[in-house]
Amino acid sequence: MNFDLTTLVALGSAYLSILFGIAYITERGWIPQRVIRHPVVYVLSLGVFASVWAYYTAVGNAQREGYGYLANSIGISLAFMLSPLLLRPLLELTKTYQLSSLADLLAFRYRSPWVGTATTLVILIGVTPLIALQIRAVADTADILSPAASHGSVAVGFCVLITLFAILFGTSRRPGRTQHDGLVMAIAFESLIKLIAFLVVGGFAIYGGFGGMAEMQAWLLTQPDLLGTLENTNYFSSFHVMALLFFSAAVAMPHMFYVTFNENSGRGALSFASWGLPLYFLLISLPVLPILWAGLHAGSAVPVEYFPVAIGAAFDSPAISLLAYLGGLSAASGLIIVITLALSNMCLNHLILPIQQPAASKDIYRWLMQRRRVLIAALIWGGFAFHYLPGDRISIQVIGTVAFVACLQFLPGVVAILYWPLGNKRGFLSGLTAGVAIWFVLLMLPLLSEASSFSAIAINWREIAALSLIINTLSFIGGSLYFGSSDEERSSADLCTLDTIKRRKRSGLVAKSAADFIKSLSKPLGERTASREVGQALKDLGFKRDDRRPYAMRLLRGRLEANLSGLLGPSIAREIIDSYLPYSIVSQHGSSDVNVIENRIEAYRSNLSGMAADLDNLRRYHRQILLDLPLGVCSLSSDREIIMWNRALEEFTEISAADVVGSQLSDLPEPWQALLEAFIGEDIDHSYKQSFELGAQKRTVNLHKALIEESGDTETSHEGLIILMEDMTETEILEAGLTHSERLASIGRLAAGVAHEIGNPITGIACLAQIIRDEYKDDELNGLAQQIIEQTDRTSKILQSLVNFAHAGTNKLMHENEEVLIHECIAQAQTLVSLDKKNKELSLEVDCDPTAAIWGDSQRLLQVLINLINNARDASQPGSTIILAAQIMGSQVHITVTDFGIGIPNAIKSRIFDPFFTTKEAGEGTGLGLSLVFSIVEDLNGNIDIISPVDRVRGSGTQVLLRFPCYDASAANA
Amino acid sequence: MYIPRSMLMLLVIIYLLFLLSVDWINAAGELWYRPFIVGFIVVLVAVWAHRNHESDES
Repeated sequence: MNFDLTTLVALGSAYLSILFGIAYITERGWIPQRVIRHPVVYVLSLGVFASVWAYYTAVGNAQREGYGYLANSIGISLAFMLSPLLLRPLLELTKTYQLSSLADLLAFRYRSPWVGTATTLVILIGVTPLIALQIRAVADTADILSPAASHGSVAVGFCVLITLFAILFGTSRRPGRTQHDGLVMAIAFESLIKLIAFLVVGGFAIYGGFGGMAEMQAWLLTQPDLLGTLENTNYFSSFHVMALLFFSAAVAMPHMFYVTFNENSGRGALSFASWGLPLYFLLISLPVLPILWAGLHAGSAVPVEYFPVAIGAAFDSPAISLLAYLGGLSAASGLIIVITLALSNMCLNHLILPIQQPAASKDIYRWLMQRRRVLIAALIWGGFAFHYLPGDRISIQVIGTVAFVACLQFLPGVVAILYWPLGNKRGFLSGLTAGVAIWFVLLMLPLLSEASSFSAIAINWREIAALSLIINTLSFIGGSLYFGSSDEERSSADLCTLDTIKRRKRSGLVAKSAADFIKSLSKPLGERTASREVGQALKDLGFKRDDRRPYAMRLLRGRLEANLSGLLGPSIAREIIDSYLPYSIVSQHGSSDVNVIENRIEAYRSNLSGMAADLDNLRRYHRQILLDLPLGVCSLSSDREIIMWNRALEEFTEISAADVVGSQLSDLPEPWQALLEAFIGEDIDHSYKQSFELGAQKRTVNLHKALIEESGDTETSHEGLIILMEDMTETEILEAGLTHSERLASIGRLAAGVAHEIGNPITGIACLAQIIRDEYKDDELNGLAQQIIEQTDRTSKILQSLVNFAHAGTNKLMHENEEVLIHECIAQAQTLVSLDKKNKELSLEVDCDPTAAIWGDSQRLLQVLINLINNARDASQPGSTIILAAQIMGSQVHITVTDFGIGIPNAIKSRIFDPFFTTKEAGEGTGLGLSLVFSIVEDLNGNIDIISPVDRVRGSGTQVLLRFPCYDASAANA
Repeated sequence: MYIPRSMLMLLVIIYLLFLLSVDWINAAGELWYRPFIVGFIVVLVAVWAHRNHESDES
């Protein structure tokens, strides 16, 4: 059964047009993001690994090695099933540092552009046979289906279409580590088509070729050679070397690296793929044996590898042949597209850019894209040229094996990225050179050489692969240990190794703001590109454009390096960043960035277990102690960068930690900057009662400092300073209040003494006046004597009031309740306040019900009234009136003190009874008066209300309303 | 080095399954699909082992 070439070309063109369509509608946004980002799409796009090798070569392998053909599926499946050991940490690394290829990753880890260049060259040489293999398989199968077709013209047509597709959809986005949704959807579609095609062909092999499963099994029992091959599968020979090849291919093959890490859609996609991809390979491996047996049963004359397309013809089913051809076309085209995209990026970053870089005046993105397109075309046509070299005498299985063994040479270097921090560039290059030399001499040269016999290579590839890997590994270890690592290599090993934390040095930068960054980067990149990249980095980090914190600037520098790494490769990016955004010389010895370490540990916390988790809990506990300490804690680095700003300090200063952590001390707002810098500058460890103005209020703090001594371990030392800030404002007010009270008490005692001393002569004067009044009959004299007696009585009352007031409050337990007549108490208060010269200008109006009485302590009520009158006086203008009133309202006595002063602002109404709260000037009031009033009124079973303003129109005046229960004689006696 | 416990269990199970099933698979005769039964069991164990590992990707 033969087909016209036109049919095959039409089929191939139609299929590739569908791919174009899928990629196009995806790029246009017609397919929902939830579909594009679904893990199933990710798994299917990873199915690109099932290339011609899994589709055609597996059938030949099954004939030769029995179940050994499953080794490739098992190898790649193990790599994904055990993704937490290798793929997941690498995914995190590549995402964090925007590493888009294996060459980027290795150049980043081993800190050498030469590593990137060597990796690119080896991969370029190594995978070219793989590209050639795909082209050859498409051309070969076209030959089988249409013997009249020209092998070359089919290959050319296929390459033209693939080149167009790869250029159109692989370079449609901004260069760098961006996701290509259209491409991913097209590749996923291809994987689905080849899986379905292979399963259908397998089903046809069983039911079309044999008539059913039972018939196939019955036939199999008559084939002792085939059964023997299956039964004698040697799992300890080439099987696990092949599995190892495919295990390492999961990372080392550029197309797998590209899809696994660049096109990862997040949200658990890798976890899904950890079982989804093994399932995919299990399904695609399932039809291999039935296809093989059906081909053998039909006696097909074509090479065993191409049985999938041959059995349709053998059993007279053209549809199956075409479907199988379509599946093979999918497998080949998917791999070529992705591998050339990945390889073009590597070549650009590691072969072109180190030699030629775009001028700053040019549009860098456009420049990069143009070169990438040229590279894609060159790679595809390079593969086309290569597919002629080995000729037909070499099977596609051998060509593929050679390519996979080349990529195996990267396994030691990749594993060392995560698990061996002592590895370095010299060791890596030594190992790679040794391994690749063995591979090239013993595998690649015989493949290309017409003279050599390839059969020996086909037999010995397992030993050659193992030998190259062993020599590579030993050279890598030996070279790394012999040459030792530079500081830069150790630093990058820290960033990559699993058990260590990214220990970024906390050095200051010359550029102090985003604007400085743009200005500096404009020199190599041009202003437009620099502005765009800085803007993107700020957006990635969620920072504002005006952020100037050193911590933020360091993160911005790191993010820029990562983003530029995705654009230009890690070597060029690092060179640009180091040259144009250097660290300042003064902070070359800056210690580790504590904040970055803490953030890293927080992110890694779910992975900690056992003692590491206990240590982390202990760290968090100690940190929490510092954060929750009721004293303000601020820790500073040796270069005065703020490392910690605890909650007490946040409350006291009203500056959030997020705003200042990572800033310089000099960036703090006043008065804090001056206060702390002055204290740090002093040669004392404790400074008491430092006063300063904060807003309108005077604040007082005690300051303590301690040096954080540098430890012996230079890697972990954090030389710096810790400052404790103790808010003493309330204590200061309390002390002032106590002093004031003590002074008043002294004055009271003095007044009582004076009153007592004056009382005796006054009593004498009164007695003498009484004698004059009683003994002499002169009316004029008696009148004068009476006036003397009245004045001495008045003086005695004043003195008695003074003595009583002075004695009041000395001992709360000694207060004795009695009937208190309010009008008497108000009169006494009136008398006392009139003694204060400040009250001379006031007019006191009294409106008092003479029957109003309460049960209580008259002296304490007197104290309440005096305090309220004094407050009213302070709030009033000179000459204004204060009204004192008392009325019986039902069962209560209402006493009001009303002034027409400035009133009380709403904002402070809720605080006026708080101890030490005062609106008076410092030294004028203690803030204890109203608090004391509140306390006494409550003790007297009363309550207090403040009504302000009294005059709502003017918004002035205050009325204090006291409510007490009326005096009840029966209750009092009881 | 942090290795999730489920990964360790997966490794152990794969290894034990390999040891236990090699002879069974080689003695399959016409029951050629036996390796795939083992493969499906391994995939099921992998589904279990990776059920909680979504949080580390973003």
